[in-house]
Amino acid sequence: MTSTSPIIRLDDVSFAYGASATPALDHVSLGIAPGEFVGVIGPSGAGKSTLAAVMSGAIPHHYRGQLFGAALVDGRDTCEVTLTDISRVVGSINQDIDAQMVASVVEDELLFGLENFGVPHDQIPGRLADALETVGIADLREREIATLSGGQKQKVAIAAMLALRPRVLVLDEPTAALDPVSSSTVFETLRALNRDAGITVVVIEQKVALLCEHCDRIVVMDRGRVAFDGTPRTVFSHGRELRALGVDSPRVARISNSLDEHGVIRPGTPCLSVAETRDLVADLVRGRAAASEKNAQPRTPAKPRPARPADPVVSFRDVSFAYPGSRATVEHLTFDARPGEVVGVVGQNGAGKTTLTKLLNGLLKPASGEVLVAGLDTRETPTSRLAAHVSTLFQNPDRQLCKDTVLDEVAFGLELTGVGAPRARERARSVAERFGLPLDAAPFSLSRGQRQMVALASVVVMEPEVVLLDEPTSGLDYRECMTVMETVREMAEKGCAVVMVCHDMEVVSDFAERVVVMADGRILGQGPADQVFADAGLMARADVEAPQVVRLAAELVRDVSPAFAGASQVSDIVDTVEGMLT
Amino acid sequence: MTNVIDYVPGDTLLHRLNPVTKLALAAAIIAATLLADTYPLLLALLALTFALAAYAGVPGRLARLLKLVVPLGVVMFVFQLLFTRTGDVVWGFVTTDGLLTGPKVCLRLMGVALPLVLMLMVTRLTDLANACVEVLRVPYRYAFTFTTALRFVPVFSQEMSAIMEAQTARGVEYDTRNPIRKLQLMLPLCVPLLVSSVGRTEATALAAEQRGFYLRTRESSYRRYPLVARDWAVLALCVALVALGVVL
Repeated sequence: MTSTSPIIRLDDVSFAYGASATPALDHVSLGIAPGEFVGVIGPSGAGKSTLAAVMSGAIPHHYRGQLFGAALVDGRDTCEVTLTDISRVVGSINQDIDAQMVASVVEDELLFGLENFGVPHDQIPGRLADALETVGIADLREREIATLSGGQKQKVAIAAMLALRPRVLVLDEPTAALDPVSSSTVFETLRALNRDAGITVVVIEQKVALLCEHCDRIVVMDRGRVAFDGTPRTVFSHGRELRALGVDSPRVARISNSLDEHGVIRPGTPCLSVAETRDLVADLVRGRAAASEKNAQPRTPAKPRPARPADPVVSFRDVSFAYPGSRATVEHLTFDARPGEVVGVVGQNGAGKTTLTKLLNGLLKPASGEVLVAGLDTRETPTSRLAAHVSTLFQNPDRQLCKDTVLDEVAFGLELTGVGAPRARERARSVAERFGLPLDAAPFSLSRGQRQMVALASVVVMEPEVVLLDEPTSGLDYRECMTVMETVREMAEKGCAVVMVCHDMEVVSDFAERVVVMADGRILGQGPADQVFADAGLMARADVEAPQVVRLAAELVRDVSPAFAGASQVSDIVDTVEGMLT
Repeated sequence: MTNVIDYVPGDTLLHRLNPVTKLALAAAIIAATLLADTYPLLLALLALTFALAAYAGVPGRLARLLKLVVPLGVVMFVFQLLFTRTGDVVWGFVTTDGLLTGPKVCLRLMGVALPLVLMLMVTRLTDLANACVEVLRVPYRYAFTFTTALRFVPVFSQEMSAIMEAQTARGVEYDTRNPIRKLQLMLPLCVPLLVSSVGRTEATALAAEQRGFYLRTRESSYRRYPLVARDWAVLALCVALVALGVVL
């Protein structure tokens, strides 16, 4: 076999689950060449996971349905070989990392596959050590898997695959539950495997900036079909079309695409990194230095901030808390949230953000200091009573859902706070209809994104004074993410205080007015969003990467012109560049 | 959050025994407890369990389990008082025979529950499964099912508490002090828990198959589990324990 013939080839593949009439994959033809690093992106329900299942042989061997066309792995039709034999070539990692584990200790997790595939016993120690070393988790060898963090578990899963020396790795949203730093490490690990061991990688991923940085090729799926397929540069030159599909573009690509639309630069070459964009802007502005000096005016702030005379509705006063029998603590937390304000809480995993949210909604009571919510001291008010004032949208909607129909589900919270059933259902109906939710459907029969919408509707219907969001956008595609955040913004405009814990710094910089930065159980700093993000020292101490636009603005201020100071939105940069060129 | 049956690493003789021998030891203590009819022996067997736990460095964890077992024992004791109708009446429904046999039932319950848990604390689940396959010739799929079920216990209990937190934050009164009310509120949560666990097991089955589950034979395991001298010695001790239970 020559090196150019694909290791995975899909010929006109269509697949529908069970007896469903709507295909999850619709005439897909695709070839994956050995050594490629391919990213797959697309809105929810576009068929990304189905595509991964076809490549890994789980379709047709595990999931029932109707399959048409042919899928060839290493030249053999997946219908004609067993799943076990396909697995010798393709290692696959699914979304739910806990369900992926078959042992309770890291070492045993790696042994499982090695033993099963009959690797000679004298080679096993070497392979085991190699795999752990390559992924960089040799120190975790004896650890209980249950005690590891999400990022560490993900690496264990990769190492367990790696030990089997597959030629292809297929990963389904490996970073969905990870913070930005762990997500980058997972991708760096994959990139190294691809470069050094020649392993072909196919990865489904929603984080566009990671895809741009690491992939050779990006496939965009939409409604079961391949919408775009090419290098990141060609794919992201279609920013407008991607947006219509519900796929985000990196902010830097949006800047260059926007400059292109304004006729400032040549079309078709979007920037993919901060450095590229900086050079592009520097080139554009150079030679007009004199002009730019003259035209550079201090930017007006993008988001005008009305004075807020209102008293805080959430107030943490020197709050400390420690979990019994654990080192995890939060100390001396002090911050306020006022009506109509969106406050973002950022920081690495383990910084204490989740503890802060639980102190706010009363699931945890402070050991010292006090937490006041809508005038109530959380230590003196039962959690279930606080629920009338604080509504929480959890990261995993499935833990919130417990009723048989969407209408019952949305009305449930109101009924719990003592609103009469007819009135509660009436309010629930109007909110659910506004979100376009099917009132009589069972919540668990809906898609992940729709389940999140049901959970959000249950929050909105409460008309609470405080909304608490824990990773509101994880697991959602770009369009769903925007729907959630626009709804939250509307609630804030109506006078609700919003406190939002979020890993996605772009979302935080778009929607939060104030940002609280946490690390090691303490608040390192807080203030207006653009000031906090522009404080490079603070960001470094909290190990948080500022949004792309803010980083770009900082580099442009340093290298090009002070006029870029304080830019936090794509339009700020574009307007400033245009201002300098005219 | 630590779970009661988590493996506690160690290098004691108890840790190093063949998992099958440990299983036999637990079974022998349980059999003797069921057969024994005198207080000294019942107490001695319970003491043996705790002595073994202390030796293996897990007495604290085992003691924590008493919090669960003792209330159950008390309930059994009360039932025994209620249902033993022979002997002289001491007070109300309490008879002398009831008072004599009641504590025995209570002790037996503890004597049956604790040894198995102790054994699971000092054995890695994977070792237990592999040893059962190699020594007892248990088909691997059964051993795997059993260990996976055990492994999922803490996962599901975490899931359950996460669900309860989410519901409390919505206003469901899980923070009520009334245990019966709490139980009533918990029942509807079985639905979300069941939904997530069925999905989980499906995914685990797929993951295991993709890592060659069906190729596994009795010879696959990298670690070998031969019965050595110390195992035979402990097995002899097991026979003696059971015999003691029969005699006393």
